[in-house]
Amino acid sequence: MDTTIERRFARSLALSGGALSSYGREAVRLAAIAILPLVVASAGAQTARQILTENCASCHGAAQKLSGLDLTSREAMLHGGNRGPAVVPGEASKSLLIAAIERKGPLKMPPGQALAAAAVAALREWIDTGAPWEAAAAAAQPKWKSNAEDVWAFQPLRQPGKLRSVDAFIEAKLREKGLTAAPPADRRTLLRRATFDLTGLPPTPEEVEAFLKDQSGDAYEKMIDRLLASPRYGERWGRHWLDVVRYADSDGYSNDFERPNAWRYRDYVIHALNRDKPYDRFILEQLAGDELYPGNPEALIATGFLRMGPWEHTAMSVAAVTRQMFLDDVTHSTVTAFLGLTMGCARCHDHKFDPLPTRDYYRLQATFASTEYATHKLPFQSWENRTGFDRELARSQELLRLTRERMAALDDKIRQELAKKLGLEAAKLPADEVKEALRSKELLSHDDHARYNAYNKRRDIYQRAVERYQPLVYGVRDGAPVETHILTGGDLKAPAEEVSPGMLTAVRYQSEVPVEVGGRRAALARWIASPDHPLTARVMVNRIWQGHFGRGVVATSNNFGKMGKRPTHPELLDFLARAFIESGWSIKAMHRMIMRSDAYRRAATATDAEKLAKLDPENQYLSYFPPRRLSAEELRDAVLAVSGELSSDAGGPGTFPEVNEDLANQPRLIMGQFAPAYRPSPLRRERNRRSVYTFQQRTVRDPMLEVFNGPDLNESCERREASTVPTQVFALFNSKFARDSALAFAQRVENLASGRAKQVEQAYRLAMQRLPAQEELKLMLDYIARAEEHHRRVAPPPVKPRVPLVRSLVHEFSGKAFTLEEEPEPAAYEENTAPAQVPPATRALADALLLLFNANEFVYVF
Amino acid sequence: MSSETGLHRRAFLYQTASGLGSVALSALLHRAEARAGVLSPKPPHHPAKAKACIFLLMEGGPSHIDTFDPKPKLAQLHMTEFTRKSKFASAMESGKRYFVQSPFGFRKAGQSGADVCEHFAHLAECADDICFYRGAVGENTNHPTALYLLNTGNAFGGDPAAGAWIAYGLGTENENLPAFVVLPESHYPQGGATNWSNGFLPAHYQGTVLRPSGSPILDMTPPPGVTPEAQRAGLDVLQKLNGMHQRQHPEFAELPARIESYELAFRMQAEMPGVIDIHRESESVKHLYGIGEPETDAVARRCLMARRLVQHGVRFVQVYAGGWDSHDYIEEAHRNRMRAVDKPVSGLIKDLKRMGLLDSTLVVWAGEFGRSPDNGVRRGSKVWGRDHNATAMPMWFAGGGVRAGHTAGATDEIGQKAVEAVHPMRDVHATILYLLGLDDAKLTYFHGGRFKQLTQIGGQVIRELVS
Repeated sequence: MDTTIERRFARSLALSGGALSSYGREAVRLAAIAILPLVVASAGAQTARQILTENCASCHGAAQKLSGLDLTSREAMLHGGNRGPAVVPGEASKSLLIAAIERKGPLKMPPGQALAAAAVAALREWIDTGAPWEAAAAAAQPKWKSNAEDVWAFQPLRQPGKLRSVDAFIEAKLREKGLTAAPPADRRTLLRRATFDLTGLPPTPEEVEAFLKDQSGDAYEKMIDRLLASPRYGERWGRHWLDVVRYADSDGYSNDFERPNAWRYRDYVIHALNRDKPYDRFILEQLAGDELYPGNPEALIATGFLRMGPWEHTAMSVAAVTRQMFLDDVTHSTVTAFLGLTMGCARCHDHKFDPLPTRDYYRLQATFASTEYATHKLPFQSWENRTGFDRELARSQELLRLTRERMAALDDKIRQELAKKLGLEAAKLPADEVKEALRSKELLSHDDHARYNAYNKRRDIYQRAVERYQPLVYGVRDGAPVETHILTGGDLKAPAEEVSPGMLTAVRYQSEVPVEVGGRRAALARWIASPDHPLTARVMVNRIWQGHFGRGVVATSNNFGKMGKRPTHPELLDFLARAFIESGWSIKAMHRMIMRSDAYRRAATATDAEKLAKLDPENQYLSYFPPRRLSAEELRDAVLAVSGELSSDAGGPGTFPEVNEDLANQPRLIMGQFAPAYRPSPLRRERNRRSVYTFQQRTVRDPMLEVFNGPDLNESCERREASTVPTQVFALFNSKFARDSALAFAQRVENLASGRAKQVEQAYRLAMQRLPAQEELKLMLDYIARAEEHHRRVAPPPVKPRVPLVRSLVHEFSGKAFTLEEEPEPAAYEENTAPAQVPPATRALADALLLLFNANEFVYVF
Repeated sequence: MSSETGLHRRAFLYQTASGLGSVALSALLHRAEARAGVLSPKPPHHPAKAKACIFLLMEGGPSHIDTFDPKPKLAQLHMTEFTRKSKFASAMESGKRYFVQSPFGFRKAGQSGADVCEHFAHLAECADDICFYRGAVGENTNHPTALYLLNTGNAFGGDPAAGAWIAYGLGTENENLPAFVVLPESHYPQGGATNWSNGFLPAHYQGTVLRPSGSPILDMTPPPGVTPEAQRAGLDVLQKLNGMHQRQHPEFAELPARIESYELAFRMQAEMPGVIDIHRESESVKHLYGIGEPETDAVARRCLMARRLVQHGVRFVQVYAGGWDSHDYIEEAHRNRMRAVDKPVSGLIKDLKRMGLLDSTLVVWAGEFGRSPDNGVRRGSKVWGRDHNATAMPMWFAGGGVRAGHTAGATDEIGQKAVEAVHPMRDVHATILYLLGLDDAKLTYFHGGRFKQLTQIGGQVIRELVS
């Protein structure tokens, strides 16, 4: 029935009914969001306000004011409407409002159903106690006195002082704190550190050898330049940005539908970083690429930023609410990503700690008021990867065809049933009866009816999969002008005063915003991307610093406000920000500056642990380099790289790695229907792409990424955590991914070297960038020998043939289960090598190499 | 540092241990404490009424009107038509509609005379152990957003689930098991794993899903062909390699913590299968839950597993029982769902009572919303069914600290909205925390520039529900 409602909704908007094309669906979305913003569930004001808001304000609010009456502020109620004052404080019985809701006189409100007795009683009591309204009034009429002077981050950047290098600031602080710097790290450690840092991958044995051999004075600088020039750089640092903007390939919520063309934004980010696109330009393109650079392909793709949040509109949603959710989301995410401030609080009330009044929140929001979702046609660019498009498109089309075929078969069944019922030949059935039977589906069994609905949903899903390969852009456009009102308590039903677009008043540097629709975002983008803005450069250099040291100069990189952490080195932050601007906003220049410092090149060993425990337990002052656990993506990519399985393919629609089979086949509910089972990509090189290129589904995460603290895709992730939980052990020690990778790794080293000892040495060079110590080598060889003995005795499990998956779900018609068979995989599936396909010796070696993936040395960077 | 931000020691510990990579952590703290795990039991804020909670989540939105809140008035209005037009109505709620009476009979159950639908025959026997509540209201009529609100206090998702908060507040009494366990249907609910997320809390507090088939925890069971002995042998070598590595970095506390996590995982792998093995229960207990009967078997297994988990020290167990989204054909669909949960859920109450665990266990029964007294005209026909309704919903509580044998709150005469003892979801959350010995205002975590809490902006305990 959900699908029916979606259709009905589409029809009610006078759009194409029946099978909605993807453009049709887009049109539904557009229509849904174009409706005037108004409502969001009440945030818990007093009962009276809540009752009035929910029952009265849609007609008697500041916007409608039917009969001249506005019930959204105390003042307006006392003033009343055409019939006189609505409320006489202290005297409920004399108040017109009460007379109307008690329905005793000629005026009976609200029309239709009367208010519940309890609600009437509550309003009576409220008036009798003087009709207090302070909390609401405060939000409606912001009386914010900006105290921007108190918040360091709103102050302009400091003028340059005596100190002129990263180390000068760091060492000054160490001296001040009485701390001693650790000695420089050894070369092997430095190479591993820098390579993971800039590319998210381990250095190869050849790279290790070359760097250790290079005796030139600038060997380190050359190494950094080599890494910065690698296409792998953008894949690693692009991921940092994708964390901040919550990149995902799906909508989230009920259906969690695919966003078929979102991947072009992901590739845009990676490409921009690889080309060292100036950061100010990067901002301008993402916020207003369509307004500022019409006709520029990258700028158009970049506006996908504005739509990165979770978003959904279904028949269960109120259109105005959905629209407001987008506006709140984009306001908040813009401020968080570029300015490092949290602004969600200001939606309902003036920010309690930062100089961000509610009025500013809605002024900023007004710059997006006319922004509409749009899908643009745009040819693929030379830097976009279209390898395998034909193959993958054919596969998605085949799934779509199979689904349509199944639906057609059920339609035939209906015709046959109808023929039976009417006692007519199938060819002679009256057309209108056939039409009605096909529509109502009442001649199908409950099970078949449920299956039909499931196929119907799958058709929508596979249509989106087909769309991945179309030259479309997931973007925005400027639509008709729309007014923005301050929403009392964030409540759409209580719009207050209208506001015009504007910037944050706490920032001294201001700029003009045009009232015309077509340049509001451009003005906002220019204001943010200005060297005069106190936050923009600081926030970005802080993110870069955090990428290198694991923690920013400001530890809360998404919160530069009063409740965020204070900078540990405020002058350094400003020095970096100035250098950043002077370099032409070059992110790569910042990497060079930071990575060339002594601070970055120190050993990861504390020189005096006891002293540090007292003076700097968190290593805020960087007397030694902070070691870190690999991020989820680095860990998966490193396992693949070392085992020789990592694909060098870059870009294009997200691919699907193998995940735990139980999870892949886990039935998953989407709007009363089965989601299709998770389908891994048939080709190994597709499955084993870098993690940044894997499909990011909001409600189903790859457990390998999830358990190692992969980012939540609904909220901006300012910094990765690295907690240690037992499920990580299961993922890295037991999973098919880890076991298959170990087997591939074993085959790789068997090809590279002969003899067990040489093979183990080779494995250590690949995984740890060093040779094993004697003790380690002996441990490994002993273990391999024992394992081999075991494997000679015990046969591995046979390879399981792939069989069509049949699953069941309780459906809403009968409350009973029905079964559904998955569409068979249209493409030939390229299996990973299975234990049964290799000799016992290889299986034994794989057992040992699995331990290397699990070793602390592999998982941590020092 | 705690004076600077007001963070209490525990939060500080988590934050350092989870990311700041402090070499000197072990010098600052006793190593034992750093290793003991963030899940060790913690004292409550006030004396707890219950030590553990079993949350029975009736996914899909069960109808209050057809379960525990009969509305005779609807018999008079039955099939009368009206039209709803509102800018604030969803497509589902708009257009031509008609009222629908309940197809079911009701009985007065127990000494308290609680209203219970005829298809909850077994549950009726437990009426005097239950506090029925009719005053709860949500904010959303979309399944995932309503589920997020019920589970996490935030309709947009992304915040920690109630179970995560409670695990954070109280730890677990058995460190070999997770503190917060989720027993889903064979399918995941709408909105997926966000429903049991740890949100911004450390990952230890995430709900651990026990899967109904295959390995109970993802990849917990070693792959086929790998014996526990072989695995132990590998683990021993790994720990020796890790030991050699650790000697080069003696001050870095994360390394021993990670070494210990392998031992914990190994213990969990050994202990978990026994804990959830319901075959260890007697036939009479299995019969009590309805195990082996086709209608009830699936929910019964999860309910019994929930009891076994609580018995073994798990703090918060969530049992999903779906299929309640009866837009059409409510007579058949709701009847089947009621029968599917009736015996398992009442069996759980009776079993907990029998074992003396009911006093220390809070049982909550709720869906993400209730259903409407009316239905939309779909396909031109009038079918007995109900749409979503966030302003009235069925909910009940049993066990530790609950005002048993009582019905609190009321809805209006057609069941459209709650009108007495009306409370938002955050108050329901505050009440659950209160019964478990936690103070909503004190159970906070500093994140994103402020101290966050389950109730978002603070909730109040619903006194009508508490004994």
